[in-house]
Amino acid sequence: MRKRKIMRNIALSAGIFILAVVFGVLFQKLEVQEHITTVFVFAVFLIALLTDGYVYGVVATFAGMLAINYAFTYPFFILNFIDPANLISAIIMVTVAILTGTLTTKVKRQDAIKMETEKERMRANLLRAVSHDLRTPLTTIYSASSTLRENRRTLTPEQQDAVLKSIQEDAEWLMRMVENLLSITRIDSGRIKIIKTPTVLDELIDSVMNKFRNRYPGQKVRLELPEEIVVIPMDTILMEQVIINILENAVFHAAGMTTLSLKVSTQGKQAVFEIADDGCGINEERIRHILNGSYDDQEERADSRKGNAGIGLSVCATIVKAHGGSISARNRKEGGAVFRFTLDKEDAMDDE
Amino acid sequence: MTNNKYKILLVEDDANICTVVATMLESSDYQVILAQTCALAKTLFASYQPDVVILDLGLPDMDGMQFLKFVRQDSLTPIIILSARSNERDKVTALDMGANDYVTKPFSSAELLARVRVALRNYRHSAEEGKFPGGRFKCRDMLIDYDARQVFIGGQEIKLTQTEYNIVALLSEHCGKMMTYSAIVKGVWGYSTEGSTKKLQVNMANIRKKFGARPGETWYITNELGVGYRMNGEEEE
Repeated sequence: MRKRKIMRNIALSAGIFILAVVFGVLFQKLEVQEHITTVFVFAVFLIALLTDGYVYGVVATFAGMLAINYAFTYPFFILNFIDPANLISAIIMVTVAILTGTLTTKVKRQDAIKMETEKERMRANLLRAVSHDLRTPLTTIYSASSTLRENRRTLTPEQQDAVLKSIQEDAEWLMRMVENLLSITRIDSGRIKIIKTPTVLDELIDSVMNKFRNRYPGQKVRLELPEEIVVIPMDTILMEQVIINILENAVFHAAGMTTLSLKVSTQGKQAVFEIADDGCGINEERIRHILNGSYDDQEERADSRKGNAGIGLSVCATIVKAHGGSISARNRKEGGAVFRFTLDKEDAMDDE
Repeated sequence: MTNNKYKILLVEDDANICTVVATMLESSDYQVILAQTCALAKTLFASYQPDVVILDLGLPDMDGMQFLKFVRQDSLTPIIILSARSNERDKVTALDMGANDYVTKPFSSAELLARVRVALRNYRHSAEEGKFPGGRFKCRDMLIDYDARQVFIGGQEIKLTQTEYNIVALLSEHCGKMMTYSAIVKGVWGYSTEGSTKKLQVNMANIRKKFGARPGETWYITNELGVGYRMNGEEEE
């Protein structure tokens, strides 16, 4: 990573410098030598601007100075440090390099700080939304269980069952929420890149469908998968979460849905996942907002249960992007919504 | 006090989970022995000789793995691990050290009870009858003829390659046990190289196709992503 950065900087500097030399030669041919220094000053400025730190700019300055001194000013092909013109151009170039270097470093650092604050703000938003959302199911579980313990004798079996059911449902809700939070920490912790293992698509879908069916036994999902064996490098736990979240989102929010389908196809080097429903559709603007990662709890407050959808989908977006893929959602002409995300698949199999 | 209930040793330090799991098991007519620490678990294991052990990996005094090692020194008693999500590596280590299966927290009672039943049945199976009688393995519609190296479903032969057959046969010999990728690779190829897990997965994908299994539908083999495969016994859904 670092090595590559240094290589990039060196290549960039060398490229710009060679270009400056070419222009220098050209100017000399055209007999406008007085502008050659300007060309080198500009080159030094560009190098300082486009590379990291001061080093490259300063090195380019000295190289430029030598080049001008040696090749482009009288006496030609002799180093001459006494000529005041040479000295002045040298001083100008060094100043430009250092100033530009300082400025760009400052701007870059500020950008990083800004991004960090933005991330921090998002995390704080999420945390606030989540802890708010956690209170509701916890209240249910707490009060329902104490009701059961204290008033068991006066409750009819039906009432007891209803109370127990609410405990179970809210515990399930909490489980889902915690899974999502764990996913976020799995990505965020130490900004370590996610660890990808090659995974056979069929097995991923198999595992996802087993989990989904356990949670929503009544909900059928129509599957459409490619015939060939597709291998995708991924963090399987996170990717399972993405598909389950999107399916779940349909179960909760696609009112009037009759069919839910999951289709995976391959396009070139990518696997394309499409999860479509024929429910009431989505507010494209809001979903785009969520998928862009600007998770904001403002709109969610009206109904705390909806908050889960926002968190679930923003987790999806985070995970897919961390895998280097893209995610989008839109309404279908024939009604309902379709979520689509892409992942890079592994090249053709090399065994057997 | 003697009875002929199956004895289950539950090694878990969280009091609430203990209560709930113990109640769950007792209501299904198992006798439950509780141990909160690894040291106590060792003593109780020796004196009660339980039929199944349910083990939480995060114990206060010693790592659960220690207890696992202790049991596996001289006993084949099935061990079911309780583990938290997201640490596949722990699961894989535990399985490779001889655990039979694992259940991820949070789990439902049905899930845990199913695993206990499977563990008990397979233990009985291997303990009482040795290898499968008549060189055959039967599971619902599937029949494996070990002598002829053939696999049938509903009387119809499934044409498998040598490798594919070896995988299916290996899983059937350890029916009900979750087998890690590395354990299967070692059993089938004898050695493991870098790409061997992928090789196994690709073979498995082909087996799945030949069996006509659709993703999400239960068939004979369960896949646990990042961990391994298990051939299911008769009862499990």
